[in-house]
Amino acid sequence: MIGFGGLNAFRTGVTLLALAFLALFLLYPLWIVLEASLHDAHGAWSLAPYAKILASRYYVGSLDNSLIAGALSMVCATAIGVPLAFCMARVDVPGKSLLMTLASLPLVLPSFVGAYALVLLFGHVGVITVALRSIGLPVGDIYGLSGIVIVFTLTLYPYVLMPTVAGFKAIDVSVEEAARNLGASRWRVFRTVLLPIVVPSVLAGALLVFIETLENFGVPSVLAEDRPFLSLDIFKLFAGESDSNPAAAGALSTMLVGITIAVLLLQRRYLAKRRFATGARRAPPTILLSRPWLLLATAYAWGVVLLSLLPFGAVLVISFLHFSGPVLSWRFGLDNYATLLHGSYQPLYNTGILATAAALAATLFGAPIGYVLVRHRGKLSTLLDVVAIVPFAVSGTVLGIGMIIAFNSGWLVLTGGWLILVLAYVVRKLPFSIRSASAIVHQIDPSLEEASINLGVSPLKTFVTLTVPLMAGGLVGGMVLVWVTVAAELSSTIVLYSSRWATMTVLMFQALEGTAPGQSAAAASILILFTAVPLLLVYRFLRRQDGSLL
Amino acid sequence: MTAIRLDALTRTFGTVRAVDDISLTIAEGELFTLLGPSGCGKTTLLRMIAGFCDVERGSIWFGDKRIDQLPAHQRNIGMVFQNYAIFPNLTVADNVAYGLKARKVDRRETDRRVAEALEMVQLPNHGARWPHELSGGQLQRVAIARSLVIKPAVLLFDEPLSNLDAQLRTHMRVEIRQLQKSLGLTAVYVTHDQEEALAISDRIAVLRGGRIEQVGSPEAIYRTPETAFVGSFMGATNMLSGVIGTSDGSTTGVLVGGIELRVPGEVGAAGERVLLSIRPETLRLVEDGAPGHQVAARLTLREFLGPILRLHATLPDGTAIRVAALGGQMVRTEPGGDLLLGYDPTQILVYPAP
Repeated sequence: MIGFGGLNAFRTGVTLLALAFLALFLLYPLWIVLEASLHDAHGAWSLAPYAKILASRYYVGSLDNSLIAGALSMVCATAIGVPLAFCMARVDVPGKSLLMTLASLPLVLPSFVGAYALVLLFGHVGVITVALRSIGLPVGDIYGLSGIVIVFTLTLYPYVLMPTVAGFKAIDVSVEEAARNLGASRWRVFRTVLLPIVVPSVLAGALLVFIETLENFGVPSVLAEDRPFLSLDIFKLFAGESDSNPAAAGALSTMLVGITIAVLLLQRRYLAKRRFATGARRAPPTILLSRPWLLLATAYAWGVVLLSLLPFGAVLVISFLHFSGPVLSWRFGLDNYATLLHGSYQPLYNTGILATAAALAATLFGAPIGYVLVRHRGKLSTLLDVVAIVPFAVSGTVLGIGMIIAFNSGWLVLTGGWLILVLAYVVRKLPFSIRSASAIVHQIDPSLEEASINLGVSPLKTFVTLTVPLMAGGLVGGMVLVWVTVAAELSSTIVLYSSRWATMTVLMFQALEGTAPGQSAAAASILILFTAVPLLLVYRFLRRQDGSLL
Repeated sequence: MTAIRLDALTRTFGTVRAVDDISLTIAEGELFTLLGPSGCGKTTLLRMIAGFCDVERGSIWFGDKRIDQLPAHQRNIGMVFQNYAIFPNLTVADNVAYGLKARKVDRRETDRRVAEALEMVQLPNHGARWPHELSGGQLQRVAIARSLVIKPAVLLFDEPLSNLDAQLRTHMRVEIRQLQKSLGLTAVYVTHDQEEALAISDRIAVLRGGRIEQVGSPEAIYRTPETAFVGSFMGATNMLSGVIGTSDGSTTGVLVGGIELRVPGEVGAAGERVLLSIRPETLRLVEDGAPGHQVAARLTLREFLGPILRLHATLPDGTAIRVAALGGQMVRTEPGGDLLLGYDPTQILVYPAP
């Protein structure tokens, strides 16, 4: 193309650079994991590892458990998310905007902290378990499937909630009025018009919940105890000192990635064909409910959101209580924090440094990619668009394992340093950065850039002086989100960290395995503050509380 | 003052020829309109002149300077966009000054010219305002000021009025026309609205499928469309298909809808199929026994539109035909009643059947 000089070179350059980056740090490690699974014990090409896994009752059980937990969590998250979404979109629930902000928190708060809170409260020696037992009431077992599904449901339901609220709000009121006018009752309108229109949004969110549960490492590591679980077994097979088996780890990883990619493709295919909500010209009005119904809706909405945040609140409180060994006493103090950090603030610094580096890199890299993907359609950028969603489907554990093997020796050695952590984070968070940048570029009319060029400013200068400032506000929001999710990241960190670069999540993970619940609670509380505070600040200053960036 | 010459311009998107071998000359100071339905290539052609769309084959000349190889930002063209494209992050004055800054005009000169341009579009003292504080019509004025202030060689308008309401639209098109005339600028104007094109242009090119159907003055395009497409696109006309009958030397009979219409001259061999275009306003309601050519029709519906009264009627075999009478005229016939329509053979245009 002539006439676009510098800008065109810039676009091609960005696309090629991004493809090279993802090929080296995403596809190559994934290929290594896949390749490891295709050899038998003697190193010959073979599908033996898969045969072995499918013949093993333990690993089939592991697959089963993961899929069942995922499916149940998906159903439960939908069951509580859809009614909540309707309340948020159409009922005048008091404190709605605060409620929306609070409801988005569980998505960024580290889910394994939620799992840990459940253990603290209801575990074998949990606060509530002990209290109830002392008055003679038995408490059910929260370990295993039930606990895992509870935690997944309470931390992942916003994935269903957010798009469904948007879906309900995007239905033009005239559609509803037409149905009423044709003689349908309110309930009939809901059942035959509103609900079918939001089904694609609901399903999109529900499948995301499913994918997240399959990839999640932290929650089962806290709650599974000795039960087989896919993401745990991959880690054990890879890192276990006695039973390390890269071929089996590779085979399980490939299965995991295969399932998530299949679900992701299913979701994309399904959504591509169904675009019902076309954006409301007139937003649907809130429904006036009689007092008892309004009370019920309010109690439900606030109840769900507070319940999902309760574990995090409990951890915060417990972290300030004094423990004598594992036994809790009701004396407040900071000694848990003192013991946890015992003179070394290094993990705190590490989390700050790594999250900042990753957030900056992901934004600096993601913004131009997002721009190119929106403004410049071509074969290369279409390929990039496809490759850039792969990180969604790859669990942090699998990516970490691939990167360890890929960059442990050879021409590029990265293991043991900070760079490999940052690279893994950037790869994992790049889809978020790209998506938030694309969303902003979509809102900038291309004729603005053309007007600037037309008035005599060169394309490249137009990009720098007009487009980038217009994008800036949104980029900050995306950057903070990357920062927050990196600070809470456990799955890839636990594979890739070295002792010099242990983060707060690692510290917490180690504290969990020890016998000092106070320190775990302190570590968990620091993580909660690290994630919740920046997010709330972004909401406060950018007035974005719709969770659209998540 | 710059004349524009387009020489054999071609541009394809995939297999679609958006602009197909178009050559045009636009005179100095002329307001030239590219008119056509969506997808006809008018916007692509405009964007090729602006430099936002590559020229595949052919060339573009401003005077004797070839410009199609120049990057867009060096062409010195003013352009008014459909959605105004006002920078939301700059004040009105900074928007207007944008092109002057790019040209490194000094501060005092810039301030003077910005004030002058805002005065020209009747927005004096609006310089400190932010775009979100302005109405659609005011944004449009800012966009015009911004394109005029750089003293462009040529002015381009890309459907500039399509986002305004009907009343403002007629008002703004008068203003645009007066500004363009008084500044003597050569302008290319894209629209799909035939009334707007007729009202504003010195000359019009009607485009279809990337090719020019007809170029001419508004009167010529409206009164003597050279093709059936131009005829039907330039406002409501009755397009009737018929078969050529006998000729008496000065007129030829064409069988249409169960009756015979006389058309001027020899139009072809008997039995050949043709299309006739009869504009509704050329048909008159006449009394029985009046002189001249007449056909009988049956009234089906009357629409009173204020200045005009539109009658929907059918010919004996059911073919629909529309008649526009002046609104003040008394028509006593009720739907279902018979009408006698007088016509002038010289007002009927004959096209070969497609």
